[in-house]
Amino acid sequence: MNPRLFLQTLRWNQFKLLAVAAAAIGWGLLLPIIYTSFSDAFRQLVNSGTIPKQLLSFGSGNFFTLPGALTIGLEHPLTIAFMGIFAVGSSVAAVAGERERGTLEVLLARPISRRTLYRTVAAALIVLLAVVMAALLGGQAIGIALQGLGDQINLAYMPLVFLNGLMLWTAFAAFGLAASVSFDRTAPALGLTMAYLLVNYFLEILGSLWTDVAWSQQYSLFHHFQPGEILTGKADPLDFVILAVAIAIPVMFAVIVFPRRDLAAPS
Amino acid sequence: MSAMGAGPGQVITAQGLTKHYGNVRALVDLTLDVRPGEIFGFLGPNGAGKSTMIRTLLGFLHPTRGTATVLGLDISTDSVEIRGRVGYLPGGIALYDSLSGRDALDYLVDLQGREPVRREELCERLQMADGVLKRRVRDYSRGMRQKIGVIQALQHDPELAILDEPTEGLDPLMQHAFYGIMEDLRAQGRTIFFSSHILSEVERVCDRVAIIRAGHLMALQDVDELLARRKRKVQLRWRGAAPDLSGVPGIADVVIKGDEMRATLLGEVAPFVRAIASPSLEDLTIEPARLEEAFLEYYAGDEASEEMRG
Repeated sequence: MNPRLFLQTLRWNQFKLLAVAAAAIGWGLLLPIIYTSFSDAFRQLVNSGTIPKQLLSFGSGNFFTLPGALTIGLEHPLTIAFMGIFAVGSSVAAVAGERERGTLEVLLARPISRRTLYRTVAAALIVLLAVVMAALLGGQAIGIALQGLGDQINLAYMPLVFLNGLMLWTAFAAFGLAASVSFDRTAPALGLTMAYLLVNYFLEILGSLWTDVAWSQQYSLFHHFQPGEILTGKADPLDFVILAVAIAIPVMFAVIVFPRRDLAAPS
Repeated sequence: MSAMGAGPGQVITAQGLTKHYGNVRALVDLTLDVRPGEIFGFLGPNGAGKSTMIRTLLGFLHPTRGTATVLGLDISTDSVEIRGRVGYLPGGIALYDSLSGRDALDYLVDLQGREPVRREELCERLQMADGVLKRRVRDYSRGMRQKIGVIQALQHDPELAILDEPTEGLDPLMQHAFYGIMEDLRAQGRTIFFSSHILSEVERVCDRVAIIRAGHLMALQDVDELLARRKRKVQLRWRGAAPDLSGVPGIADVVIKGDEMRATLLGEVAPFVRAIASPSLEDLTIEPARLEEAFLEYYAGDEASEEMRG
């Protein structure tokens, strides 16, 4: 890893990171409040048959328990947007963006191997994702404390939720970075990574809303991010293994392909 | 061709270097060497393979066939070490727009892992004052960006500078300053590999020149040697009887119109001057041999030659 490049990569993202982390804290804070204010009303709605239960069981979460509500918050499109800014946007721009702008030339004219560049950018991305994930969970923890819900949840499991969430988003970032090192333009890398993310999200949401195809969730990486299960002490090690594999495959692809690629003059 | 092959102690050697992009043959069996302390011109029109050669030497591209060394290091295995000892100016350089000129230079020299020992001198010679360096790169003109490009390539005093079209975008005054910098670097024993499609600047500053056409090396020669073998145009005017040039070696294409004569002269000038020396001689013009003539010979019938003349 190159420390100067690492710090500069973080510096490029510092204002974006501050804004996203602040928004993530706010969103995290809101979830326990939503749960406190609306869970009874939601339960009554379901019991009265006004709306089907599935509509309140978004993804792997639900609005009837605190862990379920926190899970919804962590799988909500808003969270996807917060994390996606770095897991998709920054990962895709990391190499293909530099290539498109022509600055990869200047960077790789230094004594930096392509693998070092990859490792450095990947490390910076993990730090960025970790900060946003920590902001989300930190916001939730503050919200739980403010609402006096500490007795409904064991916050000691939060580090494991953090690890699980970070692994999920690192898997998407690893895919984005693999796409980034494979293309000369950001557009195809972005398209591919967005498609990967959306297909995963679609499979998770589809399975949760339509019980006949609940099996589809198994094929979504989002289904292996289970904060609700972890917070109730039922973490499945297989989820972590699957996410680790989902990280390892694009990483291996990138470290093999990137150094072997020809980087022709920018057109 | 002369000076072919890869001798020991050369700064750059290439042996049969070949690069194909699918069916496109960008470099074909290129063999050359660059000697320590010389300014080496790599001449060819756009698309001839100049940038491909440079990018292959620096590890951006992997050769299809052949081998090459830079500073005695293999381009296939020691690319990182090579880039640590080389200064590189890419053609049409792009910089980090959000940084100031100074921050961009600091960042790049930090990544290089060397001290910017030449920066101050280069900034002064290229007229990049402190006030200019404080401005963001996005506010720079093309010429100013190019100057930052030159400075970033040379600020750490590399043993070898590889410069791709370095005067692109520089005004004539700055081009002149740049030529001065190159000559000083040569005087201090640095080596410069310099690609260009501008014949006059290659002729002006380079010790040796390689001419490349469609990926093939057409010529590799000392510039002086190359010029000495070019035909010069001569023109003279006299009073009275025409001078007898029949015994002058190398004289050809003689056209006499009244009391004026035009001809071409290949080789030594002295026999010609002796033959025309007479009180009746009124005027004499001997045009210097130009690289353009040599270049056009290699590019005869090629549209690219028109591009290079400009």
